[in-house]
Amino acid sequence: MSIEPFDLNGRDRRNGAKLAVEHLSKSFGSGTSAVQALAPLDLSVRTGDFLCVVGPSGCGKTTLLNIVGGFERPTSGRALIDDRPITKPGRERGVVFQQGALFNWMSVVENVAFGPRSCGVPAEKARQHARELLEMVGLAGFAHRYPYELSGGMQQRVGIARALANDPEILLMDEPFAALDQQTRELLQEEIRGIWRRTGKTILWITHSIEEALFLATHIVVMTARPGRVKAAFRSRFSESPDPLIAATPEFTAAKRQIVELLRSESQRAQSLEATV
Amino acid sequence: MAQSKALEQPIEALDETTLELRAGRRDRWLTSLTFLVLFSIWVALTGSGLWEPLIKPIFLPSPVAVFEAFQNLLEGGYQGRSLGYHVGISFYRFATAFSFCILVGVPLGLLLGMSRPIRAVIEPPIEAIRPVPKLALLPLFLIWFGIGNLSKIVVIAAPVFPIIVISAMQAVRSVSQKKIQAAQALGAGTLTVFRRVVLPASLPGIFTGIRVSLSIGVTMLVGAELTATSEGIAWMALTAAEYLSTDIVLVGVLIMAIMGYTLDRIVRALEARLVHWSGKD
Repeated sequence: MSIEPFDLNGRDRRNGAKLAVEHLSKSFGSGTSAVQALAPLDLSVRTGDFLCVVGPSGCGKTTLLNIVGGFERPTSGRALIDDRPITKPGRERGVVFQQGALFNWMSVVENVAFGPRSCGVPAEKARQHARELLEMVGLAGFAHRYPYELSGGMQQRVGIARALANDPEILLMDEPFAALDQQTRELLQEEIRGIWRRTGKTILWITHSIEEALFLATHIVVMTARPGRVKAAFRSRFSESPDPLIAATPEFTAAKRQIVELLRSESQRAQSLEATV
Repeated sequence: MAQSKALEQPIEALDETTLELRAGRRDRWLTSLTFLVLFSIWVALTGSGLWEPLIKPIFLPSPVAVFEAFQNLLEGGYQGRSLGYHVGISFYRFATAFSFCILVGVPLGLLLGMSRPIRAVIEPPIEAIRPVPKLALLPLFLIWFGIGNLSKIVVIAAPVFPIIVISAMQAVRSVSQKKIQAAQALGAGTLTVFRRVVLPASLPGIFTGIRVSLSIGVTMLVGAELTATSEGIAWMALTAAEYLSTDIVLVGVLIMAIMGYTLDRIVRALEARLVHWSGKD
């Protein structure tokens, strides 16, 4: 078991891609003070892929997700979902944020029911569906609590349940576990893998954690420092393993080293970039 | 003593909640002690009929004298009107001004927070008049709005209104972008985002604006009753001062203080009930 280099933009992937990103670039500001966050970038994600994007901080990972989410417009190029250009947020793309995106004025069950209700499902039916999802993420007993009463890990479970409530075709995850402690993170990683296997959702996952990417992803994209481009792409098989301790195997460590080496030079470049800004 | 008692109890009994309750009880006790000490100093300095006053009653009457003045006012009223009438008319001016500011100012602030063009039109004039001392405009208000209640209400509303508008606007603008994006990604349209996300997320900020402006409103009440009226609790204190009836002045001051304090408590209680998520992000 290992990771192997992989052409993300091969013709066979392009055709019928669930999500395609074509020559996408983004700059902030204008004139001499303009900062280019994303260099022209190409990606394609097929139905059922679990694609992790790893890169040094400030490489534009979140910008990429914001454009795919429809929250930001690209400077050039385009992002397509089922060959339709993305122009605004949509219910077929569920988003899970790092943290702080839950609605503190609503109980947990109302948070999860928010999506269906916003899409016209009657309140009681939406709540019933929300309760089922809460059960799935292990929060059945917390339906009537408020998000701020829950731990960070539980809040992220609510965030995942809320994103799943609309039954989206693709899940966009922006470092959802970055703020959690190691044990909670590993537990949730296993759970999200289980959810992915059961539901067969397409997932675009942004992270700075190489282990997380290796543990979860079917495809890993390594990005360069700003402006973010694709540095390398890999097909990974570790996520297929039933072994929850896969991360302790030598193959896993070797794969990790391979990506660490790719990223190290980029991280150094990112730091020198920050120093000059 | 209390410590040895605590030591006798099993460790489980001293959980967080119990400790917090104890600390709370101690804090309340200390607070009442502060007031007790302040009151004792007042009693001691003024003699209160027990000994020769250290401060002449004309400067600071004793608590007993103030209480007697209060009783006399209750029975005989002040300048032909009952004490209740004076309090009532002041409260009427204050409450009308405040209700207007909340009913018009909050929606206007929300609108300003939501729309850039509207903000560009309305915010600069509000910001421009904000630093103008509103009491300086009192003569102008008297000319424009007459010597009746309207000019008093306008004077009270003048500084309160911009505070409430601006705080509601800021509250909207500081709503976390992530929460709005989350709602949009879940399929919520503009109206739903406003009603179920922006509005509740802004409520804590709106309440802060209301609480801050409460004390300013009470202060402006005094300014409003400075002139061109012969009724109201602040007017009573102001005219009593001209005759050096310090006891009546103190009754008026204390009533206004209690009014301000009570209103603050009411708003705080409402806030705790309505916006339980305040500061929980």
